[in-house]
Amino acid sequence: MKLKITVGLLAALLAGSVMAAEKIPRAANGKPDFSGIWQTTSAADFDLEPHSARKDAPPGPGVVEGGTIPYLPAALEQKRKNFEQRESADPRAKGWTLGTPRGVYYPEPFQIFQRPRDLTLVYQFGHSVRTIHTNGTLHPAGENKEFWLGDSRGRWEGDTLVVDVTHFNDETWLDRAGNFHSDALHVVERWKYLDANTIEYSARLEDPKVFSAPWNIAVLLHRHREKNFQLVEDYRYTLDYEQHYPPKP
Amino acid sequence: MKKTLAIALIPLAAAAQDGAQRRIGFENGYTEIASGKWNGPRTPDGQPDVQGHWSNTIANHSNFTDPQGGVPGDPKPSRRSLEPRDTRAPSRVTDPPDGQVPFQPWARARQQEFVANFHNPTQPGYIEPLARCAPGGVPKSFLWHGYEIRQYPGYVLFLFDSGTRIIHLDGKPHLDKKIKLWNADSRGHWEGNTLVVDVTNNNGKALFGRSGEFFSENAQVTERYIFAPDGERYNYKATFTDPTVYTRPWTATIPARRRSGIETADGWHYQVAANQAGGKPVIEHYERICAENNVGFGNVAVTAK
Repeated sequence: MKLKITVGLLAALLAGSVMAAEKIPRAANGKPDFSGIWQTTSAADFDLEPHSARKDAPPGPGVVEGGTIPYLPAALEQKRKNFEQRESADPRAKGWTLGTPRGVYYPEPFQIFQRPRDLTLVYQFGHSVRTIHTNGTLHPAGENKEFWLGDSRGRWEGDTLVVDVTHFNDETWLDRAGNFHSDALHVVERWKYLDANTIEYSARLEDPKVFSAPWNIAVLLHRHREKNFQLVEDYRYTLDYEQHYPPKP
Repeated sequence: MKKTLAIALIPLAAAAQDGAQRRIGFENGYTEIASGKWNGPRTPDGQPDVQGHWSNTIANHSNFTDPQGGVPGDPKPSRRSLEPRDTRAPSRVTDPPDGQVPFQPWARARQQEFVANFHNPTQPGYIEPLARCAPGGVPKSFLWHGYEIRQYPGYVLFLFDSGTRIIHLDGKPHLDKKIKLWNADSRGHWEGNTLVVDVTNNNGKALFGRSGEFFSENAQVTERYIFAPDGERYNYKATFTDPTVYTRPWTATIPARRRSGIETADGWHYQVAANQAGGKPVIEHYERICAENNVGFGNVAVTAK
């Protein structure tokens, strides 16, 4: 009986995935076409780890595989400090570039524009632009480069886009709870359609200066299908001085 | 197309940042490009394919109406004396013919007040907002560093040095007029070799440059990007309508030129990196960061971390 159910379930899953494979949007080159405006409904940005409701955050079951980020002892202490100072110390509070992977699960929409050579991600928050190169290029060599969003090189494994992200700086946080990384962060993302309007997004994070082992997160990204939906620029780092312009009569 | 004369006149501010290893020279004139058919390459969805890297050919945003005349009232002008006015690039204001923005008296007074205070600002409003890393807005983004155009079905994307602009080609209605944006809200369509864009929802905050010209949040702008047959140049012609600031609609022209080949890269017009794909050279555009860096620029503003 148990075997039967398992086989039945497997068959259903296979059928489901075949159906999904048939129905997902595809580009002219046959690759999945991720063009669209996407957003998570998870509480990941408030705290990647499982957490109860806080005054400044809704509760969330967590998106970290296993539930706990494996910090090294000194880094865990830093995380605690970040948490205490999160209201002012979170780079998000200044309107700064969110980084990778945070931009993906930040609770504002982002838009993917796709060409054969690359995917361009425009995040509503700050209208910052991330390019995922899919033309066979490698991470830039030579001098040590540090980017707020990292350097993203993608390749297709079947219908999954696998993106290797390196060359980070240590300025961004991973969420509002003070989870953080160093400039040694290395992220491997996997982007895969669950169905035509849902992306299964996962990322593996390793950073030997901060974590004792690599760890994984997973969130779903939902397509915005509201009529005439579009990004509305959010350059919130201008909000402290924008009232001085333009000149008034 | 007739080639324009390239001369070695480079406003100091244009190359003052970034430690440019070389400089692309500005030109002191440009050639009109006629609207008409497009016979060049097209994107898979049928748009004229104008993707790539571009920059304006005249000058930066130091002076809108005398583009190669330096910042008005500069107490420390370049040691090199200016070329005579009639050999410098013409005003970007191409209508009315006097080359001046047709401000209402109050607005002209405010623009001149900005110029008078720019070099020693005593109020936040006298600081050029780009110096605080604000998005360049319309039309200043076309006067600042080089930028990249990417095209997709339904969209033209401008990746500026300071800010990002998404032109929607699908005819969806504009955002509600209560929404005001640094880079406005853009609806475009192609007419032959010309991208025509209706620009609304401006917040009016970006100013046009260090000479302080501006519009208000009531401005409507019609942009025409007219591409040359060889795809190497385009002229940006924008008509500005704002009855609360101007006495009449007026038009600006900003000439631009394609930048290509890593050997011509500089730190201003063409800020790109070289990579390789399958043994072939590939040009890449790295992320642009400004507000996050603990430095101001433009001789005036310093941002605080």
